[in-house]
Amino acid sequence: MSIGEREATDLNLTMSGYFVPRHNWRDATGRGVTIAIIDSGIDGTHPDLAGKVIESVKARVENGRVVFDPSDEGDSSGHGTACAGIIARIAPDARFSSIKVLGAGGLGDGQVFLAGLEYAIKRRFKVINLSLGTTKPHFFAPLHDMLDRAYQAGCIVVAAANNLPQPSFPSVFSSSLVSVIRSEETDPLKFGFHFGEVIELTAPGVNVHTAWLDGGYRTLTGNSFACPHITGIVAKFVEGYPNLTPFQVKAALYAIARENSNIQANA
Amino acid sequence: MPERDLEAHLRRLIETIDIANVLTEPITTAIERLLAVSAASLDSEEASVLVRDGDQGDLRFLAATGRVADRLRGMKIPAGKGVAGFVLMSGQPMAVSDVEGESSFYAEVDKATGYDTQTMLALPLRAGDEVVGVLEYVNRRGDPPHTPFTADEMDRAGIYADAIAALVDSYYSARLLKELSSRVIGSAEAETTEQVRAWLGSIRDSSGHRERLDLALLVRELARRGDSERRLARELLESLLKYSDSMNETSYLGY
Repeated sequence: MSIGEREATDLNLTMSGYFVPRHNWRDATGRGVTIAIIDSGIDGTHPDLAGKVIESVKARVENGRVVFDPSDEGDSSGHGTACAGIIARIAPDARFSSIKVLGAGGLGDGQVFLAGLEYAIKRRFKVINLSLGTTKPHFFAPLHDMLDRAYQAGCIVVAAANNLPQPSFPSVFSSSLVSVIRSEETDPLKFGFHFGEVIELTAPGVNVHTAWLDGGYRTLTGNSFACPHITGIVAKFVEGYPNLTPFQVKAALYAIARENSNIQANA
Repeated sequence: MPERDLEAHLRRLIETIDIANVLTEPITTAIERLLAVSAASLDSEEASVLVRDGDQGDLRFLAATGRVADRLRGMKIPAGKGVAGFVLMSGQPMAVSDVEGESSFYAEVDKATGYDTQTMLALPLRAGDEVVGVLEYVNRRGDPPHTPFTADEMDRAGIYADAIAALVDSYYSARLLKELSSRVIGSAEAETTEQVRAWLGSIRDSSGHRERLDLALLVRELARRGDSERRLARELLESLLKYSDSMNETSYLGY
């Protein structure tokens, strides 16, 4: 039996005909899963994250190209630590690779985060959390290509949507990644799926309490805090099915979101 | 250059640059008025606008309202630092609250201003497809504890951010003009300096200036949209000029 066939039988068809993971994904802890966080760095000394950041690199511009060096600088803004903190509460045994792209300067923001994404795909991280985006049209094509590469490499990219009038890339590329927008839901595992809309997923992103700099905590609101909720849930899936494809992840998210909405409707 | 001539030249230069400042000051005043109105609407104590400083992603406070506004103006934040640095580079709005009153929140700026930031709302300022700066609201009016900014307030602040971003874009255009005039003055003879001063003065006083600026902004917007739009705009404007010329002819006869 091929890996693909084995994965297919590992996914159950529910009574309503939708795929869901067979194992009890809610009890999974993300064990064995390493998540790439393309962000402002992660403070690995925070009590919630101690021992979980297994690699940290930082973007640097050299001769017009972006290179990544090992870094012990931690987090320069608090955002990357906040995202890792949200994921750690959902998938406490997951590990992180911090890809710091903020503050590199030189080439412009879009190019540096594109390089961060390329780095994560080349390293074949199964789950990639991306809270950055760009509205510059000339990044449309290279980002589209990059997301296709991620899809073909089996990397699941979870991106924060931008709720501004202009389209933001890559969150509008609906076929090849998972895009998330904030909801007022408080249960971290309750998310919604709006098939047919540009941004398909909703997850808690209002007054989220999570890790911050200096070992502290903050209460945060924004789409970029909804995104790591889905990343954490995907890490739970991947623990049970390490070869899960982006397509299968979307199918599972869709099925579970339908269950969530049924549970809410019946409550 | 003899010392006396140099002194006179420098004095003229300084006077002219002062006049040039008139180009940017009304815009920063307009930004601060809009900041004050939006801060009142969002029940926020302090509001400020940060703009890009150089091409490395650093930020500088351009305008501010509230108790520590004077100390904030001109202050800088290095690339990628703090909440503002993240918002600039990510284009993502975010609200952050220190509800337990823990460790330093926004250390460098709070240290310099003596202010205690407890809750903050930060949004990107977008002009065209560029993020040109960051709009920040800090704390609530009245005594602490300050309640976090809500998701609804984040959406409402986005409307103010659009208006303020348009002003910031105009500020950059005016500053460009100001720098250009300073360069001309720096290398010009006294006679040219006087002409530049007179020209700057006429720009400021002209009642038609606003309309001309609007037209220039429209043309720039069209030019940004692509080659076909640029060609069409040019053809239309040239046709309009021909039409205008023909209307101004005193005679349509061929002799």
